[in-house]
Amino acid sequence: MAKLSLRNISKRFGDTQVIHDFSADVDNGEFLVLLGASGSGKSTLLRIIAGLTDAGAGDIIFDNLRVNRQSPRERDIAFVFQSYALYPHLTVRENIAFPLALDRFKGWHHIPGISAIARRVYGSSKEIVKQVANVSSMLELDEYANRKPGGLSGGQRQRVALARALIRNPSMFLLDEPLSNLDAKLRAELRGEIVRLHRLTGKTFVYVTHDQVEAMTMATQIVILHNGVVQQHATPQEIYARPANTYVARFIGSPPMNLMTAAVNDGQPALGGLRLPAPEQLRLRLRNGSVTLGLRPEHLTVTADVGGPGLAGTVRRIEDLGADTLIGVQPDPALGLKMWELNQDDLLWIRQTGQTRLMAGDPCTVTPEARMASYFDGDTGVNLAPADETSTALLPG
Amino acid sequence: MTTKEAPPITRSAPHKRRLKAPGNRNFSKPARYVMLAALVLFSGFPLYWMLNTALSQDSELYGQAQGWWPHWERLADFGDLIGSVPIFKWLTNSVVIAGGTTLLSLIFAVLAGYALSRFKFHGKGAAGFLLFATQMLPEALLVVPIYALFASLGLLNGMGGLILANVAFTMPVSVWIIKGAIDAIPYEIEEAAAVDGCPRVTILSLVLTPLILPSIAAAAVINFFDGWNEFLLAKTFIAERDLWPASVGLASFIGQYLTSLNSVMAAALLFTLPALIFFLLVQRRIVSGLTAGSVKG
Repeated sequence: MAKLSLRNISKRFGDTQVIHDFSADVDNGEFLVLLGASGSGKSTLLRIIAGLTDAGAGDIIFDNLRVNRQSPRERDIAFVFQSYALYPHLTVRENIAFPLALDRFKGWHHIPGISAIARRVYGSSKEIVKQVANVSSMLELDEYANRKPGGLSGGQRQRVALARALIRNPSMFLLDEPLSNLDAKLRAELRGEIVRLHRLTGKTFVYVTHDQVEAMTMATQIVILHNGVVQQHATPQEIYARPANTYVARFIGSPPMNLMTAAVNDGQPALGGLRLPAPEQLRLRLRNGSVTLGLRPEHLTVTADVGGPGLAGTVRRIEDLGADTLIGVQPDPALGLKMWELNQDDLLWIRQTGQTRLMAGDPCTVTPEARMASYFDGDTGVNLAPADETSTALLPG
Repeated sequence: MTTKEAPPITRSAPHKRRLKAPGNRNFSKPARYVMLAALVLFSGFPLYWMLNTALSQDSELYGQAQGWWPHWERLADFGDLIGSVPIFKWLTNSVVIAGGTTLLSLIFAVLAGYALSRFKFHGKGAAGFLLFATQMLPEALLVVPIYALFASLGLLNGMGGLILANVAFTMPVSVWIIKGAIDAIPYEIEEAAAVDGCPRVTILSLVLTPLILPSIAAAAVINFFDGWNEFLLAKTFIAERDLWPASVGLASFIGQYLTSLNSVMAAALLFTLPALIFFLLVQRRIVSGLTAGSVKG
């Protein structure tokens, strides 16, 4: 059981600053997901927590104890690797028993030659065999107990890696993209498995991924990293409803949030001539000139009517996903609508439940759900609505 | 009526080829056996001729043409021939020297290979290169300085000194073989072991060594045969007849005026056998290690 605090962690590799002054507190039992694109420093951060990489600067605190100088073993963590990192020469049973057997080693057991015997002797002790059997059945690995990792599928290997982490009953689980080598179906299955293990153990989990679906479905807290800088640290719902800046807005959501430039006159934003009612507190923050406006695809509706209130445009793409349909609309150039950052093909994406009767090439009208709009500073990209005032109001549904 | 005319699906020809194991599709089975038999004959004939010579009479060897078939009845004399010299003593010495060389060289090679593979330190490139420097100089060139060195250290005329000298010549190759093997093992496996509570020495002994066993076996073969066949250093450093390895002992059969060819071949045959047995023992490890392979996580 551990509460994790990171204080002002910085890390550089040569000339590259990988992590900039990272601080976070994670309560016991939280499921923290470090989310970011590759090169964002998320894996480095996890390795620093584990003790596999030295923190360049800052403090790593487990339950009021500074652990910077402690080895991974002393920190009492379990680490699950993307590549599984199973011991290929040992059977599944021996792989799972390995950490427990090592726990019982006395100093002289580490002498080469003796260590191999000691591992076997301890690994076959009644108590360990029983624990291994328990964990194996929990992860449905019983029938593979005598196989070697080479004879297992990717999903089974990752289960073994989870079992090996689980058996030690560590204070904290650290997982480094454990599912990214698996196919989509297995990924969904193991996602559920990991969430179940989290509930079961009640331990702190820190999970690194670049997959927003994993982050949204598993996390109790998400930290979004970009080039080693924290973009937002919040609950998944908060991040989705109120992204802290344009980077987060584009990173979370598929398709991502539509971002476009809206004109502001007297604190009144307008999109291609369409006036948007903005909350009073927000209007005070809007500078005259322009603001970046964000709308999730589900907060736009599209109709075949032409000439009604809304943004005129032409349907360009239809992506039928079965339950939903994504519709890509090119806004009428006459509106002078400026996309802030090119959305895919410079289109405004709209999500609609069910199927649509619209066809590519049809003229249409897009109506934004104005109260769901996010407003970002035109220069810095920072969300202008303060978290406490609007986060609940903006929660979808 | 129409059903009768339907073509039988199972008779399609292309499937026949697929039944063959991949890699064998170029030659028919008899052709492969003929080729293998030729190879076996080619490499086995010298061995057979050694046996044949060992069982021949001097008169046959120097006079008439040597017969194709060995005189099995001379097998009893064979024992007398090798009984006249301490051949088993020499073979034992050879086993000690080759075994000692192999063991010492492998221990050093695993440690050095690990360091070269995993650690970053100043002069790493130079260290790796210098290991090969010993291979660039011919052994004969180094015999004299090593002799002088061993003379002052009191290592002459002993198997310990000979083992040390052999290790110096054979270890570098082993270091590079083992470095290459460790390079191929994902670093995460070591990190996983560290998280599971292994200090570095235990990572090396419990996790890495079993994984690079095929390479260790390959290096062992090279080291053992280097030690087994080594002649120059042994001839120079060891004067006492009882301490000779078999390679030197074998050479002593070649006299200035008289060489009993059948005795030489009899001794040579005995000299070959332990090496052959060692290879057969280790070779299984190499092959099984290679096929088991699944080092990839």
